[in-house]
Amino acid sequence: MIKRRHFLRSSTTTLALPFLESAGFRRFASAAAPATPAKRMIFIAMGYGVTQETWFPDIKQTGPDFTLPAGLAPLARHRADITIVQGLSNRYSEDAHSGSTFWLTGANPHENGAAFHNGISVDQVAAAAFGKETRFSSLQLNGSDKDLSGPGHGSGLSLSWDNRGKPIGGQNSPLAAFHRLFSAENVSTEQLQLRLAQKRSMLDTVREEASDLQRGLAKSDLDKLDEYFQGLREIEERLAKDEQWQAVPKPKSPIQPPPEGVTGKEEIQIMYDLMVAALQTDSTRVLTYRLPIANLLSSLGVKVAAHDMSHYSPGERMEASQKRDAANTELLAGLLDKLKAVPEADGTRLFDHTTVVFGSNLSHVHNLTNCPTLITGGGSGIKLGHHLVVAKDTPLCNAWLTLLQGSGLEVERHGDSSGVIKELIA
Amino acid sequence: MHFRLHLLIAFLAGGTITFSPARGAEPGAVLPEKNRAFLKEHCHSCHNAEKQKGKFQIDDLPYHITDNRNAERWQKVLNALNSGEMPPEEEKQPAAEAKADFLDDLAQVMVAARRNLGDSKGVITMRRLNQREYGNTLRELLGVTVAANELPSDTNASGFDTAGTNLFMSGDQFEQYLALGREAVAEAFERHDKAAFVKKERFEAEKGLIERVSKSLKKRIEYRLAYNKWARAVDKAVARPENHAAVAEIRKDLKGHFFYHAWDKIKGAPSPVAYGFTDAVHASHEGSDGTWNRNVPYQSWFVAQPENVTGGWLTVGDNAVNSYFSFSIHGWPAGEYVVRLRVAASEKVTPERCFIEFGMGGGNPFKHDSTHMVTGTLAEPQIIEIPVTLSAKGLRTFFVRERGTHDDDNQPNLKQNGGIAENGIGLDFSVWVDWAEVERLPATASPPGMNTLATVLGDANSRIPPEELGNALETFCQEAFRGQQPSPAFLKGLVTGYEDRRKQGENHRQALTETLALTLSSPRFLYLSEPTGDEKGNLNARELATRLSYFLWSAPPDQELRDLAASEALLKPEVLTAQTNRLLDDPRSSDFLRPFLHQWLRMDRLDFFRFNNTLYPDFDISTKEAARMEVYESFAHLLRHNQSLSHLLKADYVLVNGLLAEYYKLPGVKGDHFQVVKLPPDSPRGGLLGMAAIHGMGSNGEHTSPIERGAWVLRKLLNDPPPPAPANVPQLTRLEDKLLTTRERLLMHQEQPQCASCHRKIDPIGFGLENFDAVGQWRAEDHYERPGLGRKTWPIEAAGAFYKGPAFKDYQELREVIHDRSEDFARGFSKALIEYALGRAFGFRDEALVEKMVPSSQTQAPNPRTVIQTLIQSEEFHTK
Repeated sequence: MIKRRHFLRSSTTTLALPFLESAGFRRFASAAAPATPAKRMIFIAMGYGVTQETWFPDIKQTGPDFTLPAGLAPLARHRADITIVQGLSNRYSEDAHSGSTFWLTGANPHENGAAFHNGISVDQVAAAAFGKETRFSSLQLNGSDKDLSGPGHGSGLSLSWDNRGKPIGGQNSPLAAFHRLFSAENVSTEQLQLRLAQKRSMLDTVREEASDLQRGLAKSDLDKLDEYFQGLREIEERLAKDEQWQAVPKPKSPIQPPPEGVTGKEEIQIMYDLMVAALQTDSTRVLTYRLPIANLLSSLGVKVAAHDMSHYSPGERMEASQKRDAANTELLAGLLDKLKAVPEADGTRLFDHTTVVFGSNLSHVHNLTNCPTLITGGGSGIKLGHHLVVAKDTPLCNAWLTLLQGSGLEVERHGDSSGVIKELIA
Repeated sequence: MHFRLHLLIAFLAGGTITFSPARGAEPGAVLPEKNRAFLKEHCHSCHNAEKQKGKFQIDDLPYHITDNRNAERWQKVLNALNSGEMPPEEEKQPAAEAKADFLDDLAQVMVAARRNLGDSKGVITMRRLNQREYGNTLRELLGVTVAANELPSDTNASGFDTAGTNLFMSGDQFEQYLALGREAVAEAFERHDKAAFVKKERFEAEKGLIERVSKSLKKRIEYRLAYNKWARAVDKAVARPENHAAVAEIRKDLKGHFFYHAWDKIKGAPSPVAYGFTDAVHASHEGSDGTWNRNVPYQSWFVAQPENVTGGWLTVGDNAVNSYFSFSIHGWPAGEYVVRLRVAASEKVTPERCFIEFGMGGGNPFKHDSTHMVTGTLAEPQIIEIPVTLSAKGLRTFFVRERGTHDDDNQPNLKQNGGIAENGIGLDFSVWVDWAEVERLPATASPPGMNTLATVLGDANSRIPPEELGNALETFCQEAFRGQQPSPAFLKGLVTGYEDRRKQGENHRQALTETLALTLSSPRFLYLSEPTGDEKGNLNARELATRLSYFLWSAPPDQELRDLAASEALLKPEVLTAQTNRLLDDPRSSDFLRPFLHQWLRMDRLDFFRFNNTLYPDFDISTKEAARMEVYESFAHLLRHNQSLSHLLKADYVLVNGLLAEYYKLPGVKGDHFQVVKLPPDSPRGGLLGMAAIHGMGSNGEHTSPIERGAWVLRKLLNDPPPPAPANVPQLTRLEDKLLTTRERLLMHQEQPQCASCHRKIDPIGFGLENFDAVGQWRAEDHYERPGLGRKTWPIEAAGAFYKGPAFKDYQELREVIHDRSEDFARGFSKALIEYALGRAFGFRDEALVEKMVPSSQTQAPNPRTVIQTLIQSEEFHTK
């Protein structure tokens, strides 16, 4: 109990965080400290959309002088650092219950007449480059809702989809994420080497069996079996990472292990602490987080069910939707506080090198146009402190492309992008 | 071509197939010609070949949608109309009804077009075992229970968990298979090593009980006396003149016993620590009237009960007197157990309280595994026997509680407050426990997977020659792979891997566990592959046996089925029929029935919301589970007795156990098993629409949702699903915060044609079911309450009419109308069954199969066994 309270107290206020450099986190975590601080990216998805009336700034107040609407009020102290873009959408999206499935991919679900199709998500494009130098190429985090892939977020195992449009799994609780990031195993180098060799031999054995099974299979079956091969390849890549990192112990966590079974608001707060810790220790540079919806509502004492809330109209359901907006915004403000409190070696802040995107593919109620998009952080050279209204039907992927290029990646297109959003660039 | 001919023949032969796009039943996605006028009037003038406003042309769009490009274009038309973007504001707007009709047609055609374009053309994609099948397969192979639910969930919004295209694999998942495989093998070894372990232990409920409660009572009395002494001492100081000002100040904020919290501001007042308390808060909590009144009379009453000398009354409330009886068997091995409880019910309490919940693991919510009716009396207690399977990793502590007392933190207080209000003491005791007994049963038979390993199991230090190990592993693989042969390279790899591990210092059992876990993570185990070289894609007998058993058992074929496959006798229709019947009559068929019904009927909605136990105290978790079982058991009853599917739409009987009968107020039903109970003629029960589970699914735990219910009836009972809710529909701006009846609120939906196109079909059905409240109890009136606005009560008016269909004056008539459409129901069931069994989406080519499964010439809807038999005999079931 004492432990838990201690932890919670530490997470409600700004963490006492050591300098990245001086505490030697970077030394533990990454092979060589880069001269300039690395670029990082965070994508946070709400699932269901926002309360239109109280979340979006007035469409007429564009530029730096806009009034922060009630739904964003808790972000007042970060006002100069957040940019809200209106008018973006994924043109192929048609499922009004999927706020996350295509959010970062912009894919056409019916491409080539397929019953379901998806493409690579923007975080994975970034991870392919940023992930080379860290223990985890990227980390996928999910809220603890029982039915997370149900209405709200839509299908998928996390926000991330790999380069073949297959869903990538994630950690579904703060505790699981903590263990992945920081739990150390007490094994010697020899033991680890032995284990890696054993594992590789196991993979070889089942791979041979899978190759044998390929004989006589139809094409669609071969595609299916290819997922198995891909799974084995993923593990091999991980083993290669393990090998590369074997001499480097996992970093010591700057925060306490989270208690088991926290849900809702508290869970999000802890997850945000873990995300900062993951970046601070340079364990990864790309993070995605699918927020809990139902559990957040219950933790706020809201009796309206998640789907009912999304169908808000004035009254109880709209109040529920607004309560959720306020909680999400407040939590986001807390995350930004923490990112600003972590200093980099060169005296700048972690915040200055991180791109944070908060939003959803669903705008409000059942609408898929004007996806709520909040961008913050100095990672991709975005004009901050602005309210930007782009031309109608501007692809959401144009924003993703702008962020990728702004983060120094030579990417020409993403999803259905038609170019970068020039007004977004500082 | 072939199916068209078939349909034509069926048609000519007097079938009554109707081709109407509104039913989504026709092979092509064709927008009815009557819509041309609408498009011409509102769209063509701008979107024609010359103008192409917005670079979009409509007048050349084909009405028969056969390709993706045109589907996308039509989708654009649909979206633009739904969002209100088109026709532009300044143009003439279509009449609401005309727009709704057009949207209705186009939305339905788009559903058909998407289905046709995404059609797998009957091809079934190879798939891995889903979560359930994986767990069942390990159970059949090794006789173990692993936590398969740790694997990622396979359920998804758009299909069954058997649909191959939705069953993914990842590196993480592979690692989970390895870990679960290890767990399974370790448990199988434990069960094998302890096969003869037999042990029985009895736990007396009275042990330490009176002592414990007496001790608590004594402490309370001591505290009360100490508190009184302390308070009098403080009072003395209060009386001193120099304290008057301070006392007056304190009294402003702190009333009653809270006053004493400020003792340290009163000169001369003694510290509560001197009286045995940690501080003033502790003192006033322990010594206050509230604590005393709540606990002391109840505990005194409990201690005075003579029955607590030989057993223990279960209690309710936060007093922790005896609110549960628990007993542990730490260290006992995995295996099959039986738990016996000797219990009696009080004759003084109402019958709905005479049930106990039994399970493992405590806390709130108390996750119980079963609920049991207590019919024994103090004069003649009964013994309840509960079979339990314990896994190696699982818990070893059992709990027994009164039902509905620990669903959440709120519930015990609510119930106890009710008792205190009634008699000033607390809720009367309802169930008395004499003792519990736990017995481990000896293993009866060794599971097939373990039999193949008999010669190599040895012990930790055994040395097994490679050839012997290789032979055993080969037979193990054949068993695990459902009759398929492992590749030589795989076998060699397994043996080499084992040898390497031994060299590296692992003992025999460790190395063998790893080797077997790898086998259980290999593709021939995890995937249901049907690698036929046959051009027509006919399954061979082995593949057919596997498909059959995974369909009807969600588990691998047993020896009998495998033998019939080996001899190819299974390919004979009469043998296949007999085997189908055998599998359906086997208890394992519940592993098909329950998950199928759960997914088909979208019963996950029953768990979407927590039912408000202040509003609905009787619909506790025990009732909810019984209500869920009613759906399963009613279907199983039809299957068992070859009764028509139409009974699910109307019946003069229900399948209930004692608990649910109590909930439905049907007298005289005893026991925990579900039994047929004849209904009185005026009962609203009987059939799915009379079931509490169905109405609970159509609520949010507090209020009913006529839309959910109406849409559910269209989707699941009438085989007429409304198209998915369109995106980007503008909100109703003039909806103000008013006190409205449910009907008034929902009718606003129909103001906009975009909404009306579906809601005019959905809502009347939902209104017709409004006599059932959120937990499926009958009601005559409903109310709505909002702080600040007040409360409104209105009588339920169920009367209405199907859109362009028959009218009904009440629920009973609505049920009749639905019952008259039993054939549609049977068709919807058949479609779902095809999707589930074949693991792919229903395609328009399957309409012919549905016609075979539910011949339209029949006078009555068929029974489920016939439908299943027809599917299994079909060409579709025999090919991939």
